[in-house]
Amino acid sequence: MKKLSELGKDSVAVIKSLDGDQRFMSRITSIGLTPGSTVTVVKNEKNRPLLVYSRDTMIALNRSECEMIGVEIGGKTA
Amino acid sequence: MSETVIALLGQPNSGKSTLFNALTGMKQHVGNWPGKTVEKKEGNFEHGGRKYLVADLPGTYSLSANSDEEMITRDYIASGKADVVCILADSSQLERSLYMLADYAGITVPCFLVLNMSDVAKEQGKSVDAKELEKKLGIPVVSFSAPDTKSYDIFYKTLERAVSEKTVLDPAGLEKRYNSIGNYDSIKAIIPDNVIPGYSKTWLAAKAVEGDAPVIAKIRTALTGENVKALDESLSKVDKGVVLTGECKFEWIDELLSGTVKNKESGVSLGKFDRLITHHIWGKPVVVLIIILGLIASFIPALPLMGVGQLIAKVPDPLNEAMLSAGCPAFIAALICDVLLRSVSFIVQMLGFVFGVTLVFGLLEEIGVMARISYVFDNTMARFGLQGKSVMPFLISFGCTMGGAAGTRVIDNWGQKVLTIALAWAVPCGAAWAVIPMLSTLFFGAWMPVIICVILLVMILHMWITAKIFGGRLVKTEDRYGMIMELPPYHKPKWGALLRYVFGRTKDTFIRALKVVIIVALAFWLLSYTSSGDITASILYKVGHFIEPVTRFFGMGWQTFMAFIASSLGKEGALGVLSTIFTGSGTISVGSVVSGAAAENINELLVANVPKPEALALVFAMTFNMPCIVALAATYQETHSAKWTARIALYYTGMALVIAGIAYRIGLLIW
Repeated sequence: MKKLSELGKDSVAVIKSLDGDQRFMSRITSIGLTPGSTVTVVKNEKNRPLLVYSRDTMIALNRSECEMIGVEIGGKTA
Repeated sequence: MSETVIALLGQPNSGKSTLFNALTGMKQHVGNWPGKTVEKKEGNFEHGGRKYLVADLPGTYSLSANSDEEMITRDYIASGKADVVCILADSSQLERSLYMLADYAGITVPCFLVLNMSDVAKEQGKSVDAKELEKKLGIPVVSFSAPDTKSYDIFYKTLERAVSEKTVLDPAGLEKRYNSIGNYDSIKAIIPDNVIPGYSKTWLAAKAVEGDAPVIAKIRTALTGENVKALDESLSKVDKGVVLTGECKFEWIDELLSGTVKNKESGVSLGKFDRLITHHIWGKPVVVLIIILGLIASFIPALPLMGVGQLIAKVPDPLNEAMLSAGCPAFIAALICDVLLRSVSFIVQMLGFVFGVTLVFGLLEEIGVMARISYVFDNTMARFGLQGKSVMPFLISFGCTMGGAAGTRVIDNWGQKVLTIALAWAVPCGAAWAVIPMLSTLFFGAWMPVIICVILLVMILHMWITAKIFGGRLVKTEDRYGMIMELPPYHKPKWGALLRYVFGRTKDTFIRALKVVIIVALAFWLLSYTSSGDITASILYKVGHFIEPVTRFFGMGWQTFMAFIASSLGKEGALGVLSTIFTGSGTISVGSVVSGAAAENINELLVANVPKPEALALVFAMTFNMPCIVALAATYQETHSAKWTARIALYYTGMALVIAGIAYRIGLLIW
């Protein structure tokens, strides 16, 4: 399993696990990133927030937060 | 018949404020929730002979207990004040934005669902079968698009149906999925009736599984000994409950949408503008450019009002003479002309700018550009505990602090809004830029650019210190987490609603500013009034002279200290005051303060009377003083907190003196 932050541009992956405190998990769930959902990495550049696309939504995520999201490559494009 | 109360519930960017503005127009009242740093917005409208009160609940992503906003939302629903809750979802991102509906499931307060932004969804080739959704949910569902006037008829009909039928959302489908979570059943079985009014056992059990502390505490107090143990035991077996229920909620949403949503497959890509703005080099310059262009655009609607304000400024002098020759006592003539009319003129000139800023940046917010600005500057502004949008008020404040304060309207968190205004005060405004370089050149000649650079450095340091001092109380540490935000699709603006909103806010600002300015102007005028016209007879002079030993400590004699005090009403005024003092003619009045009228030989007078170190102290004291009375009034208008407005004003006066003191001492070393 990889971390979301390790994926390159245009990779498609399925979320497998979420870690972190209650607050983070609640927040990330409410924006639609739950285990089983497919994400497409739109932009992943050093020192910038990640841009991912999931459930018809463009989402900007802080890099350090992306390390708490475990993913597996593959799955159909969201 | 008493009024029907509707509560608007929706995630940020669900178009909630647009709907709120469109429904209530100019009939809005904004305040704070009692004892909380969260803005409370309510408004009224009438339809079909029935009166409605709309409560715009704080925009939150869920109904968990992670923030004041969410707790207020939950408590409001439990209070029973709302007859019906209007839940908003974005049709173009239905799957994600229905999360709020899923989180609401299990609450027994009547509700209906608005599928907003149907125009955007249509453009993307998506269509939703509202009737089919209605059947599945048991509540009225309406497809809605704010810019489309026909939408409102259907909206009102749906609203009336929800109110008269008291439609309650059916949570059965979601509960089936909750049942698959181990221990959900046993937890639900332990929960007694009526723990929180309006919230069913289904909802409470799900929140308990999520580890929601306030809900668990409520359940525990309602239980007796043995059951508390059983509850704790069941809860201890749940791991990452919030992720488990989240999965259930989205599975339920997927089931709801299968067969009701037609979705044309669309590729994932950023538009041209988004590619530019997310660029790691060009992003920030582009945002700064957009804000500067926005600032320039703000002047277009502002200019006519500025002209009106300047016309009003021409009235007092001839009117004063006319009143005097008509036998009116000088005191009353001065009161009307000098205090009242000049205050009105001052405010009207600034008001145009507030109108322009509110309109232009309100528009940028509505079409979705502000969310991008927030994204680009999030990392930078997070250092102050602020969101990326705060960069906009800061830049506007280089033009006018009042406009900057008005611009904070797009910041949805009250604490961050107040902190943004507090920091924006440190940014030297247009009036400072008109006075300071001139004064600096007069006293320090070729050193002027150096002084300007030092002022900019002090500004950044000042903002950093201010963020440290006020940040802790305004933005809680738990609210300072890394960015998780969506970039919403672009929307068409709803011009009518936007304009009505802008007019409403401008009117409110005018009334509030007028009150504050007249009170302050009157006080200043009384302090400086003398019947003989000799400044040394005024209270202001006597006080100034008396405390001169203290002001000397900060590098200022009584004359420059007067100018400093005047500059907190309006920066241009300081020159007028110095002119009056050094020429020994006329009274210091609000008129001379705001118009900045100065004697022709003011330059020579200043250089002859003020030594360089004192001049340096004055330059810094004026720059970092309270921007002006109108900015003070605008701060009160935006924060609706007299306490915080006073706190910020006193802090700035103190800081300006400290900075002046340091500048003076450095000046003594140099000269």
